[in-house]
Amino acid sequence: MSSENIVVGVSNLPNQRFKIVSEQGGTFTLMVCGESGLGKTTFINTLFQTTLKHADPHQRRNQPIKKTVEIDVLRAVLEEKNLSLRVNVIDTPGFGDNVNNNKSWQTIVDFIDEQHDSYMRQEQQPHRDVKFDLRVHAVLYFIRPTGHGLKPLDIETMKRLSTRANLIPVIAKSDTLTAKELQEFKLRIRQVVEAQEIRIFTPPLDESDSPDPAVMEHARQLIESMPFAVIGSETKFDNGQGTMVPARKYPWGIVEVENDNHCDFRKLRSLLLRTNLLDLVLSTEELHYEAYRKLRLEGSGASDDQSVPVRAPARKLSHNPQFKEEENALKKYFTDQVKAEEQRFRQWEQNIVNERIRLNGDLEDVQSKVKKLEEQVRTLQLKRH
Amino acid sequence: MYRRKKDHKRGITYSLMLVGDAGTGKTTFANNLLEMGIFPHQYKIEAPKLPENSRVKVVKPTMVLSYNSKNGIPSHMARFDAACEHFEPGVTITSTSMEILTGQEQPSSRSSVSSDSSSMTQNGGVNADKIAFSLVKTHGLGENLDNTLCFDEITAFLEQQFDQVLAEETRIKRNPRFEDTRVHVALYFIPPTGHGLREMDVEMMKRLSRFTNVLPIIARADSFTKDELAKFKKQIMDDIERFSVPVYKFEVDPEEDDFETIEENQALAMLQPFAVMCSDERNDNGQFVRKYPWGEVRVDDDSFSDLRVLKNVLFGSHFQEFKDTTHNFLYENYRAEKLSSVSDWDVDKTGDSTADKRNSAAPSLSNFASLITTGQFKSSNSLAIPPRSDTPTTPDSREISQGTDMDSPGLRQVSQSIRRGNEEIIHNIKSSPRTSAPGSPDKSKLRNISETVPYVLKHERIIAKQQKLEELEAQSARELQKRIHDLEKRAADLKLRERLLRQQHLNGSNTSLSSRNSSTAQVAPVQSKLKKEESVTDLASIVSGRA
Repeated sequence: MSSENIVVGVSNLPNQRFKIVSEQGGTFTLMVCGESGLGKTTFINTLFQTTLKHADPHQRRNQPIKKTVEIDVLRAVLEEKNLSLRVNVIDTPGFGDNVNNNKSWQTIVDFIDEQHDSYMRQEQQPHRDVKFDLRVHAVLYFIRPTGHGLKPLDIETMKRLSTRANLIPVIAKSDTLTAKELQEFKLRIRQVVEAQEIRIFTPPLDESDSPDPAVMEHARQLIESMPFAVIGSETKFDNGQGTMVPARKYPWGIVEVENDNHCDFRKLRSLLLRTNLLDLVLSTEELHYEAYRKLRLEGSGASDDQSVPVRAPARKLSHNPQFKEEENALKKYFTDQVKAEEQRFRQWEQNIVNERIRLNGDLEDVQSKVKKLEEQVRTLQLKRH
Repeated sequence: MYRRKKDHKRGITYSLMLVGDAGTGKTTFANNLLEMGIFPHQYKIEAPKLPENSRVKVVKPTMVLSYNSKNGIPSHMARFDAACEHFEPGVTITSTSMEILTGQEQPSSRSSVSSDSSSMTQNGGVNADKIAFSLVKTHGLGENLDNTLCFDEITAFLEQQFDQVLAEETRIKRNPRFEDTRVHVALYFIPPTGHGLREMDVEMMKRLSRFTNVLPIIARADSFTKDELAKFKKQIMDDIERFSVPVYKFEVDPEEDDFETIEENQALAMLQPFAVMCSDERNDNGQFVRKYPWGEVRVDDDSFSDLRVLKNVLFGSHFQEFKDTTHNFLYENYRAEKLSSVSDWDVDKTGDSTADKRNSAAPSLSNFASLITTGQFKSSNSLAIPPRSDTPTTPDSREISQGTDMDSPGLRQVSQSIRRGNEEIIHNIKSSPRTSAPGSPDKSKLRNISETVPYVLKHERIIAKQQKLEELEAQSARELQKRIHDLEKRAADLKLRERLLRQQHLNGSNTSLSSRNSSTAQVAPVQSKLKKEESVTDLASIVSGRA
């Protein structure tokens, strides 16, 4: 009896798994982050090939010009070949729009932490079959195509994001950089990312894991072209061969979104959806969530205050430092006002004292005059007698 | 009028300022405008190679006029250093002066060179008149986490130029070699977001427009398709309207202007804000292009870039207009404001310094000189309260300032005392006149203003500068301290790790060499200690050298 001939059915396990997965579908949470006007919304729509999110200039324009960072969550179900994927897209409008952008990453970082936190709490509940999961699987950070380098704001934000989620830096609107400029820009960003110890997501390159050389080659290509230079477009144009492709039409040529010579959109899509979606989800689960969970449950004294009880970790919501600043400013204003008023009162007092002295002087004058007059009267009376 | 004449003698001064976010193409625009590689791009040492432009001669190479940054170092020429990229670069203002021969003006603008150059020729000047052109560039705007710093710096810079002219104008003896450094036009580069103006754009343009003509410009317009560009232009104009940003508008006066000018201005007004794309690389035909994999863009193609129009406006049609509005409108406003504030101050103070008899003599230069000497004397012995300041309000404020003096370090105290001395001078200057010549108050006041204003302004400026320098010094000291601290920490870390490693190493091999182990273990800490001491002294010497 050779074991090769007997089929117990264990080898069907992948198929069973496939069934389960295709019935349940999957969840994928993607966060886009970056200054406004870098084409985040357009990119999302291009990525999923539908108008998930409407660019609504009117709503945007009625807001006051001083903005705070908001968090927009958008849920959608994508269906492709009977497989449904629940997609959550998180947008961060208002990031980097203000004159003072210090700490504007706080809202975003807090949001990511909060999702980890709420998931952890749900896990600790007695009934935990229905979990509301909005943990961010991937963060796309859009970099302005300046051709210079990364700004301090970019670096600070990316540093903080990279410890909490899978960070994928992306050069937005890359159709404004010529090939040479783009090459230099990418190189510079890579150097900065390395020097500043920002951990960006890279597809696993473990030889033993995937023996297929083609897969390895693909992964290597992806790593080489990081950070991805992307363009987005919601309209389609004829690409010259009669097929309609998403593209941007300039007077000097048509930029095709899905052309590898023009941009890295296809590579990024492959990384996000086609080849590495599972890696993203798993590394969120195993790396970032675990790290967060460990930190919370251990209550590691170094980073958190000791007062947090170990078993029931109540996350202290970090206060938005912007409010703190505002509070300080208000306090200062208040004290200044008080000071000014006090000064005024002191001035009044001074004036009153002066007035009193003057009046006293007057009084004395009058009194002396009276005395003099009395004296005169007396002398006159004496004379008359 | 005297300015006009001076213009003739030394050529026409013209000053252009480039303001905008980092990476919006200011450098490229400057290179393209002058058609020569004059400015290096960020992180590059050498400017792009372009053939020399014979019409342009650099008189003064690029120099830093003013800067402000957290670490106290101007950063615009910093080499690319990946490890330091997270430091905020601050803001730097640089200026480059050059001479441009108008005689062989660029063909595009020559066709429509207006009143300016023709009047030059009429007045007997040679056609090849020189423009003393200075290009002021800002670096680092929008790159900081908190950009309020940049605003203040740039506004202060512009105001200072006005102050200098004001001081010069009111001086009794004018300096014949005085250089007018007022900025005539500022180009504000709006980043191509497609969403209208940001808070920063609005704020910056508002501030600029107090001192100069602001032309909003859409930078990197090649990121827009035609429709998008039209939409963006409209949004910007809407926003400018909505937030009432006083940018330069091409207005027409139907009664005065001739038909051509009206038409031209209307066309320009329709075109505003100019969408510009730039390049400082030429293709084989000598045209400036941007090469993309999907096509080649000629940057001076009128169908999608307003670059040529803009050049024409700057150097041709509105050249004189910009100069006139700066001088006749913006500067006059500023002047009126400044002078009235000074004289108002005088009037306010008249009441309470009547007792002061010491300065009853009519103000004269010699009197002023004596004031200066007394002021300097006072500044040398810092805390002496001058006897003549016994008006009711002053003692209070003096006490307060003394109070703050107590807890500030030595260096600060000295500079503060100097500043107090300066304040004293100004106070004297401001309060001296009102007791004089009651018969003709207006006349004496005028005279008095003309004598004192330059000095007042100068002193105010000196005070401001001093304050800034102090701040910068403090900042750089703090920064150094921080870095030293970091370095020391890292050194300590490394040492610790080294020791740990060595211990491990030794532990691994100590079964056999237990006797030697102890001796090496003793040696190791001594060595590391020695090293640490070395590094500390090194750092200390650096600090002392800096200080």
